[in-house]
Amino acid sequence: MPDGIEAGDVVVADVPWASHASPGGVDSRIGPLKGRRDVTRLLLAPSLVLLGLFLGIPLIVVLVASFQPNVLIPRDSAGLYNYTYLIAQPYYAKILVRTIWLGIVATIVTLPLGYAAALLLPRLRGRLANMAVMGLTFPILAGPLVVILGWMALLPAHGPLFGPLVRWGLIAPPRIIGTDTAVLISLVQFMLPFAILTLYTTIKQIPHELYEAAESLGAGPLREFRDVTLPLSMPGVLSTSIILFSLGASSYISPHYLGGAANLTLTTLIGQFILATYNNALASAAAILLLLIMVLCMVGLVLLFRPLIRP
Amino acid sequence: MKRVATAAGWTYLTAVYVFVIGPVVFVAAESVNSAKAFPSAFAGVTLHWYQAILAHPEFFSAAWTSTLIAAVSSAVATAAAFTAGYALRRRGRQESAVLSTLLASPLLVPQIVISLAMLQFAGLFGLGAGFASLIAVHTIHGLPFALRLVLTGFARFNFSLEDASFSLGAGRVTTWREVTLPLLRPNLIAGFTFCFILSFVNLPISLFLTDAQTTTLPLVMFAYIESRIDPMLAAVATVVVVVAGIATLVLERYLKIRLVE
Repeated sequence: MPDGIEAGDVVVADVPWASHASPGGVDSRIGPLKGRRDVTRLLLAPSLVLLGLFLGIPLIVVLVASFQPNVLIPRDSAGLYNYTYLIAQPYYAKILVRTIWLGIVATIVTLPLGYAAALLLPRLRGRLANMAVMGLTFPILAGPLVVILGWMALLPAHGPLFGPLVRWGLIAPPRIIGTDTAVLISLVQFMLPFAILTLYTTIKQIPHELYEAAESLGAGPLREFRDVTLPLSMPGVLSTSIILFSLGASSYISPHYLGGAANLTLTTLIGQFILATYNNALASAAAILLLLIMVLCMVGLVLLFRPLIRP
Repeated sequence: MKRVATAAGWTYLTAVYVFVIGPVVFVAAESVNSAKAFPSAFAGVTLHWYQAILAHPEFFSAAWTSTLIAAVSSAVATAAAFTAGYALRRRGRQESAVLSTLLASPLLVPQIVISLAMLQFAGLFGLGAGFASLIAVHTIHGLPFALRLVLTGFARFNFSLEDASFSLGAGRVTTWREVTLPLLRPNLIAGFTFCFILSFVNLPISLFLTDAQTTTLPLVMFAYIESRIDPMLAAVATVVVVVAGIATLVLERYLKIRLVE
């Protein structure tokens, strides 16, 4: 290639095979060609159209619906009253707080548990390592139903976990199903594979030479962890906590089937509004509030972790 | 001292796996337990509960509906992910943050909100619940997963192979058919399978979109749970788990696809 050719210059005529080069099919060494690159970009269209049509526009419809009057709040015009209603009524305010609380607690519990496991996983070798990673995707692929069914069977006071302890008089019969504890146990179990997989990817990417350098400078395992692993894995910790909070706050199945009707979260509240009280407007407002909470928490997490991430 | 630390590490890792996989294994074990109640102490091995499923045609029709929805939505999602992944990688640059956020957005929106949004959107056209809406949301849901597996494939794909094909006179279509698609086939199969399983077992995203004629297997199973929990349900769940497990193992073994890269 002659010097002085810049990205964007039309060099087609100089290259013998250029007439055969289909849209976008240009040698990457010459850089993208004007007018041709756009055709490759068009290949993004199917995904973006699907997302816009079946997610973007529908979400705008929800946003519009959230300003509409309804059976509980009859008004003449659109307004923010559905939001003020959900925030001002203690019954609903409690649900809002509970959703955030569950998301935060589940994240705080899962993060260190997952981090410790992700530190240990890279020591596995060969087939065992593959099996270990597959094992983590197994509960995700098995689906929530079987997992919830498992907890419904395992957690009752006289079930297989606590039954023997109760019978031997070691503990009083615990009440777990229908409480936040049950929801948290199943949330942590559900979120842990996501945490381990994300953190494992980050930790594995830390160059091995850094550990060798640290060792040659006389650092012990603890020092290595503090000065190499921990700071370099911070971006992974940030993205993991965002994923975890989103999973926790947006979970429907755990709070619905293990939390009981008295312990609603925003997701199960949306379910009630649509399936039981047929209140579309309030369901929409609750959905937008849930999205807002998730966005705010993401921003919060980014601000919290940014000082810890080295450029 | 070091040995103690190592032992503690392995013990911890084992505990994590028991905690994460335990409930699934427990349900599977109970599904072959001959005792009458779920759960109960192990009384003997039986396949009676699997036989009992045969008396419930609603599970079969729902499983068929779920299969259709999963097949169509995964095929569309994988195809869209392929062209998107191609566009992202062919340009040879890191995609913009906006673009990758957009393409991952179905993961960030709670599934129940996606379901609600589709209910209202389809309602504008007088559609509401039913096949079309279900396929639409399941496609959206599968897209980021399919894209991720496709991008893993493109990371290893050498685009100069395409240039070689062009230089030999092949057009875009021939090049894709003879070069690009065959080399990415493992990833496309993995993407499709992954989407299929995730769609098949998903409940919240279908929650508001099923009607009397069209309902998915997870919703029928959960409706059943509301009335009673018996070992037959464990058997149904185990069938789903075994199929998903075999698919995962086959992918890992024969297609050498790793979900984490």
